[in-house]
Amino acid sequence: MTTTQSPSLATGPAEHPIHPEHTPTGQLAFGAFFQGVNSSTIWRLPESGDQVAWESFEALVRTAERGRFAAFFLGEGLRLREHREVPFELDVAGRPDAQTLLAALAGVTERIGLVATQNTTYNDPVDLARRLQTLDLLSGGRAGWNIVTTDNAWTGENFRRGGYLDHEDRYVHAEAFVEVAEQYWRGEQITHDGAHYSVRAQGDLPRSAQGRPVLFQAGASPAGQDFAARTSDVIFSPHGTLEAAVEFRRSIVERTVAAGRDAGSVKILPGAEIILAPTEAEAEEKVRWVRDLQIGPEQAIALLEQYWGRDLSAFDPDGPLPDVAPEVVESGVTRGAGFQFAKAEELTRAWREEAAEKGQSILEFARARSGARRGTFTGSYDQVAERLVEFARLGAIDGLNITPWLIPSGLDDIVDELIPRLQERGVYPTEYAGATLRENLGLPPG
Amino acid sequence: MTDTALHPGAETAAAREAGSNLPVLAVDLVADPSLLSRLAELGRGLEEAGVGAVTISDGGLHPIHVASFLAPLTRTLGLLPRTDAIYVEPFHLATQLMSLDHLSHGRAGWLLTAETDPAAPAAVGREVLGLEATAREAADVLEAARLVWDSWAPDAVVKDTSRGVYVDAARLQYTDVEASTFSLRGPSITPRSPQGLLPVLVADTDRPAVGERVATELADGRVLDVDVSAGAHPDQIAETLEGADARLVRLVGLDLEADPLGTVTALVAALRERELIASAADEGQSLREQLGLAIAEHAPDPERRTDRARRTDLTDQTREESA
Ligand SMILES: Cc1cc2nc3c(=O)[nH]c(=O)nc-3n(C[C@H](O)[C@H](O)[C@H](O)COP(=O)(O)O)c2cc1C
Repeated sequence: MTTTQSPSLATGPAEHPIHPEHTPTGQLAFGAFFQGVNSSTIWRLPESGDQVAWESFEALVRTAERGRFAAFFLGEGLRLREHREVPFELDVAGRPDAQTLLAALAGVTERIGLVATQNTTYNDPVDLARRLQTLDLLSGGRAGWNIVTTDNAWTGENFRRGGYLDHEDRYVHAEAFVEVAEQYWRGEQITHDGAHYSVRAQGDLPRSAQGRPVLFQAGASPAGQDFAARTSDVIFSPHGTLEAAVEFRRSIVERTVAAGRDAGSVKILPGAEIILAPTEAEAEEKVRWVRDLQIGPEQAIALLEQYWGRDLSAFDPDGPLPDVAPEVVESGVTRGAGFQFAKAEELTRAWREEAAEKGQSILEFARARSGARRGTFTGSYDQVAERLVEFARLGAIDGLNITPWLIPSGLDDIVDELIPRLQERGVYPTEYAGATLRENLGLPPG
Repeated sequence: MTDTALHPGAETAAAREAGSNLPVLAVDLVADPSLLSRLAELGRGLEEAGVGAVTISDGGLHPIHVASFLAPLTRTLGLLPRTDAIYVEPFHLATQLMSLDHLSHGRAGWLLTAETDPAAPAAVGREVLGLEATAREAADVLEAARLVWDSWAPDAVVKDTSRGVYVDAARLQYTDVEASTFSLRGPSITPRSPQGLLPVLVADTDRPAVGERVATELADGRVLDVDVSAGAHPDQIAETLEGADARLVRLVGLDLEADPLGTVTALVAALRERELIASAADEGQSLREQLGLAIAEHAPDPERRTDRARRTDLTDQTREESA
């Protein structure tokens, strides 16, 4: 594992390798991301805990707070994922409503931020703003909102307005939505007449200790980045390599400065998976073990079926990728948050060639792909610590949003082994900076 | 689908015939921001005073969140947010309430109300509904919520390592509600909660708004409101309670500034002595049990099964492999 900086990264002046106006803080903040529905959380082990039980959330949040994590995040999906028109059976599915759960966690935690992923398309802005402000008040200024913009008629079937929004308009709508929420938080009279509905309301709650909830944005498209640059305090990026992270920082800083804000106003926390062991060799072994448990033969076939748009159950998971053409041109990707549409024919041909070149079976291909998609930090405790120091020193990221691959014990080795090493190296806080999420993320008052 | 599962009113009558069901005493907390610093202390104190439940009325803070906040801080207290059924998303409302049931280990209930303040429709961009339309929608939302709550079988998470199956789609069902003002597909994004169907009660004050069908046919029971703003007099309250056909007695207007716990402790003792209210709940007891409601059985409906679209060849194949 190499930690040396590639020379191509330093394109700016030596002291400003990313952007002339950006000064790295050299500090990292961690978030714990309990996604609830995903393929990365292993459920096959005896020590895999219940995904909805209060005890699982409480145990995880306590470990995170012991490790001085800045925030605890919960994901959201507003319809059960489906695969070939049946709810997807192979992955962890089913979770509590994020904010309802966080309101309970507010009572048993002291300092950690509580961040709910909430959709702007299928919520009413005043209702959501009031719930978020309630959470902010109950927690003494520790609430955050991860703004997501999923929009489709399929999810819309669970809501009054249905699939009313065009995909191109999702961020236009989201910005108007956030503006209404901010007016509510400022205690203003709200008069909003938008393309889809009108709102008349009055903000009627006191401001919290941090002013307003911290705004997070999870979205990597150019429209998503612009939205974050204009409106958000933090962006979740999907980038795990140093090169990609530096490129993303540059893009965000440019957009933030263009939007008239300070270069460092938007913090960047890539989503990450961390697999650790005492030595490099043990870590390599562990990565293989984790992947085997995450992606079984059924998941590997299901992954391909999404893109081939047809039943592939007759294919051997240990054999080569199917040599048949996909059934649809526009793939019927398993529906749910985080999945992208792609041209099926181009994609499946490219995959077949890639797997053949590398001599991978269906199963090996699926496991490799799943690891590559996640920003993964693997290695010995010291190796991962050194790598993160490099990220911090360059200012490529402000921290990581960590998805544990095991619930509820998946943060234990991070807190007990990695964090002390980061603290020794001076890149991770030994105490909470303050009482609010805003303070603990190093953000100015809201 | 059996009738009893979705119209638990029928069970209520049966349970009542069994006798023994004294109403549960609840205190109404108005979720006002001024209460924030004392909320935890109040919740714990009321539980210690022997109160069976709290209802949480809207005073600015969101009642479901306030109920959630109190859940891990208490152990036996029933938690019933008094929440509007009309100017909300039925899907969000249903999953929020069942989430409260999960994290309180089965102590959640819903004190159903229907908003008549014109500020509520204005905030979500809807027209003001008349009383009749409000009552119809309240009934539709309640029926839809119960279908969402019942959309996962208790054993839907199978974690079958041999087949690699985490959740069995044959044990999930769609909600498929087509009401006049909304539709909802389902199933829930949250697995079935400990009580399955949360107890849904209607307070006397809310009867005109929610309508007779919800109050008498659909809800699990009546909530008798006792206004104690002018003081709590055990004799007077005892008189009101005699023969009252209520599941819950709700003390409203309690002065939360002036020694509420002392007042409540004395009142609980006086009413228990006269055998007018139920004894305090035991740890681990669900709100349904505390209220004397029958256990809510899952009602599977083959028509709604989420795997009904699964092609038979695939199903057969899977069965053979696992056999
Ligand atoms: C770290 C991370 C977490 C995300 N979590 C969720 C989530 O919980 N729910 C959701 O609907 N979308 C989630 N998303 C998806 C984004 O909201 C967004 O749809 C996706 O990144 C595509 O972005 P775009 O709309 O800007 O193209 C997440 C994205 C990232 C990067």
